[in-house]
Amino acid sequence: MEGTEEWKTQLEAWKNQLEKWLNQGIEYSQQIPPIQLYAAITILLFTTLLLLLIRVFKRVKSSTIVLTGLSGSGKTVIFYQLRDGSSHEGTVTSMEPNEDTFVLHSETAKRAKIKPVHLVDVPGHARLRPKLDEFLPQAAGIVFVVDAVEFLLNCRAASEYLYDILTKASVVKKKIPVLILCNKTDKVTAHSKEFIRKQMEKEIDKLRASRSAISEADIANDFTLGVAGEAFSFSHCYNKVTVAEASGLTGEISQVEQFIREYIKP
Amino acid sequence: MLEQLLIFTRGGLILWACKELGNALKGSPIDTLIRSCLLEERSGAELYNYDAPGAAYTLKWTFHNDLGLVFVAVFQRILHLLYVDELLAMVKREFSEIYDPKRTLYTNFDETFRQLKKEAEARAEDLKKSKQVDASSRAGAFDLNKLQKLRAKGAKKPETVVSKVSKAEPKKKPTKKNTVWDDTPRQAKLDYTDPVGENGDNIEVVAADHGESMMDKEEVFSSDSEAEEAEEVGKDSKPETKKKGWFSSMFQSIAGKANLEKSDLEPALKALKDRLMTKNVAEEIAEKLCESVAASLEGKEVGFVHEDFFDSTAMEEALVRILTPRRSIDILRDVHAAKEQRKPYVVVFVGVNGVGKSTNLAKVAYWLQQHNISVMMAACDTFRSGAVEQLRTHARRLQIPIFEKGYEKDPAIVAKEAIQEATRNVSEVVLVDTAGRMQDNEPLMRALSKLIYLNKPDLVLFVGEALVGNDAVDQLSKFEQKLADLSASPNTRLIDGILLTKFDTIDDKVGAALSMVYISGAPVMFVGCGQSYTDLKKLNVKSIVKTLLK
Ligand SMILES: Nc1nc2c(ncn2[C@@H]2O[C@H](COP(=O)(O)OP(=O)(O)OP(=O)(O)O)[C@@H](O)[C@H]2O)c(=O)[nH]1
Ligand SMILES: Nc1nc2c(ncn2[C@@H]2O[C@H](COP(=O)(O)OP(=O)(O)OP(=O)(O)O)[C@@H](O)[C@H]2O)c(=O)[nH]1
Ligand SMILES: [Mg+2]
Ligand SMILES: [Mg+2]
Repeated sequence: MEGTEEWKTQLEAWKNQLEKWLNQGIEYSQQIPPIQLYAAITILLFTTLLLLLIRVFKRVKSSTIVLTGLSGSGKTVIFYQLRDGSSHEGTVTSMEPNEDTFVLHSETAKRAKIKPVHLVDVPGHARLRPKLDEFLPQAAGIVFVVDAVEFLLNCRAASEYLYDILTKASVVKKKIPVLILCNKTDKVTAHSKEFIRKQMEKEIDKLRASRSAISEADIANDFTLGVAGEAFSFSHCYNKVTVAEASGLTGEISQVEQFIREYIKP
Repeated sequence: MLEQLLIFTRGGLILWACKELGNALKGSPIDTLIRSCLLEERSGAELYNYDAPGAAYTLKWTFHNDLGLVFVAVFQRILHLLYVDELLAMVKREFSEIYDPKRTLYTNFDETFRQLKKEAEARAEDLKKSKQVDASSRAGAFDLNKLQKLRAKGAKKPETVVSKVSKAEPKKKPTKKNTVWDDTPRQAKLDYTDPVGENGDNIEVVAADHGESMMDKEEVFSSDSEAEEAEEVGKDSKPETKKKGWFSSMFQSIAGKANLEKSDLEPALKALKDRLMTKNVAEEIAEKLCESVAASLEGKEVGFVHEDFFDSTAMEEALVRILTPRRSIDILRDVHAAKEQRKPYVVVFVGVNGVGKSTNLAKVAYWLQQHNISVMMAACDTFRSGAVEQLRTHARRLQIPIFEKGYEKDPAIVAKEAIQEATRNVSEVVLVDTAGRMQDNEPLMRALSKLIYLNKPDLVLFVGEALVGNDAVDQLSKFEQKLADLSASPNTRLIDGILLTKFDTIDDKVGAALSMVYISGAPVMFVGCGQSYTDLKKLNVKSIVKTLLK
C-alpha cells in the first residue's frame, strides 16, 4: 500500500519533469527560423538520395563489357558463346548491336548467386561505328576482337579502329581496360598473339605520327598515345591493354571470361 | 531452284536456314548483301545481284521490323523464280507467329517451310498456266506481298541504280566564272584564273604563313569532345516540351493506329522527301532514301515509331550512316605509308568545268605543306588556256615546285613524267590538276580514263560544287561509269573521295554532300569553304545531318 503511494508520487514527479523538457524542446525549436529547419531536412534527404544514386550508378556502370572490332572478326559468335555456350546456326554480318544481360554460360552450373554481365556486341561495319560511342561511356571493359587468320590483310584497318578507341576521351578518362582478343586460333594459319601485338604496335606508331599532326590544333579533345619520342607500345597507354587468344567457333573463350570476371567481380 | 532461304536477326544470328536446300553457297552473298545494300540504305530496292566465281545469284529479302528479323532468299539468276516474293511473305508471316526472342532453335519450322514452299510453287504453276490471273484477287491473302510490290515499284537492280538518271536537263555551256565574293578585304583572293603576266612580276611571293588551314582547326568529327558530349547530354535530358517542328507533326497524324502500313507513311514520307529536296538533295536520292526508311518502318508498332520520330532517329540514323566514311580518310597516314615504299603519293583532281579543282588543289597543297610534307603540283590541264599559268601562280605563292609541259600535250604522259620527277627529287605528294570536262564529253573522258589507268594514282578525288542539285547524280554517276567503261583494265578504278567546293555559298542547302556520297559511296574528304588557302575543312557529319532535318 505504502509502496504504491510512493511510486505514484514518483511517477508524478517524472511526468512533471518530462512535461517541462518537452515544453523546453518545443520552445527551442520555435526559436529556430523555419528556413534553417527545412534546409536541414533537405540536406538529409539529399545526401541519402545521392548515396542511393551513386550505388545504383556504380552497379550499372561496372557491369558492361563492349565487344568491338572489324566486321567478320567473330564478335557475334563470341557473344553467343558467352551467353549460350553455342554459336547456334552460325552468323551473318550484324546490322544492329546485340545486347543482353546474363550470367556467363560457363557459370550457370555454379550454385552461388553470380552477378550478371551486361554484354554488348557492336557491329564492325564502318557505317555503324558511331553506335560504339553510345556504349563506351558505361563500359567496364572493352574486348577488341581481331581475326588472327586474315590478320595481315586487316592489320591497318584494325589498328586504325583500335587507335580511334584508345584516343576517345570517354575511354581514356575512365581508363577502361582493353583486351585485344586474337580470334579464330582453331585455324593452323592463325597468327600468334605476340605477332599481332607487335604488328599493331608498329601500325599505331605510324598512325600516331600522322594523327598527332592533325590534332595539334585541338589538343583539348584528342589524346595522343604513348610516350613521345619512343616507339609505341601498348604498355604506354593510359589504359591497361592486354592480349589474349580465343576461338569463338570451337568455344575456347576462357581467356575472355577471365578478363570479364576480372573487372566484373562475380 | 531456290538455293537458300535464311532467317536471321538484325543482330546477325541465323535463326533458321533451310537444310533441305543445304548446298553451300559460293562466296558470301548474304554478307555482301548486308554490307553493300542493306546497310547502305538501299534496302528499298527490289533485288540484289551477286556474282562470285562460278555463281550468279539473285537475292530477295523482306524485313519484319517489329521483331527485328530479316528473311533472305537466294536463287540462281538464270531462273526467274516467280514465287520468291510470295514465299518470303508467307515464311515471314508463319515464322513471326512462332518467333520468341529467347529461343534460338527452330527445327520445327522445317516442316512448315516444306509446306509453304510446295504451296508457293503450286501457285506459281497456276499463274503460269492461266496467264491472266489477276494479281489483285490474291491481294487479300498476301497483303504484305502487295506492299512489297508497291515498294519495289520503279526500283532497279541495285548495282545499276545510279546509272538510270531521271533527266538530262539541258546543260548550259560551262563558262569560266570569275566570281568576286564579298570577302573581308584583308583576305587574299585565290583566283588566278586569268594569267597574271607571263613572268609573274606582279605577284608578291608570300611564302609566309597564310594562317592555319581550317582542316586542323576543326571542331568536328571527334565526337568525344567533352563539350559536345555535355551538349548532347543536356539535350537529351531536356523535357520533350520544345517544339518538334514539321517532322513530328507529320507523324502525329498517324499515331493511334496499331501497325504502320505503307499508306500511312506515304504523306509523311512525301513531306520528308520534299524537305530533303529543298535542301538541294537530288530528287532521285531523296526518293530512294525515303523508300529505304519506309522499308525500315513498315509493320512497326506506331507507339514505337512515334517515339522514333520524336528523336527523329530513323531518318537521322540513316543519314549519319550514309555520311560516315566507309574507308579511312586519313590522307596523312596514307602519305606516310607511300613514303615507306619510296613512292610519291599521287592525287588526281577530276570534275566538270569551273567547280574549283585548281583552287582547291592549292588549298590541299597548303594544308599538306603545313604538315611538313613536300608537295609537287603537276599541271595536267593542257586543254584550257590559262590553266597552267593559274596553277603556276599558286605554286609561286606557296613556293611549291610545279611540273609543267605547256599545252597540247597528252595529260597522261605529263602526269607520268611528273611522277617520275617527283620520285627523283623525293617529293612526297604529287597533286595532279586536270582539265574540267563535261561528263558527256567522250574524248575528254577517255583521256582522263587513260591518265588514271596509266598512272594508277593513290587517290582519285572528284571535285564537285556544293551548289549542284539534281545534276550531282548525273555528273558523278557518269564520271564513274565512263571511267569504268573506258579503262582498259578489268579492275576498274573509280572515285575514291569527294572534295566539295563553294560550301560557303550554299547556306543550308547542304544536300549535294548527301547526293554525292550516296551515289559514289566515296567519302567527302575535304570541304572547300572560301577563297583563301586556309579555307579547307573536314565534313562535319553531325551538323550536315542536323541541317538536313531542320
Ligand atoms: N575458324 C573460325 N571461324 C570463326 C571463328 N569465330 C567466328 N568465325 C567466323 O567468322 C565469321 C564472322 O563471324 P561474326 O561473329 O559474324 O563476325 P562479327 O565480328 O560479328 O562481324 P560483324 O557483325 O560484321 O561486325 C563467321 O562466318 C564465323 O563463322 C573462330 O573462332 N574460328
Ligand atoms: N566561294 C568559293 N569559291 C570557290 C571555292 N573554290 C573555288 N572557288 C572559285 O571558283 C572559281 C573556279 O575555280 P577553279 O579552281 O579555277 O576551277 P577549276 O575546276 O579548276 O576550273 P577549270 O580548270 O576551268 O575546270 C574561282 O573563281 C574560284 O575562286 C570555294 O570553296 N568557295
Ligand atoms: Mg556481328
Ligand atoms: Mg582548273
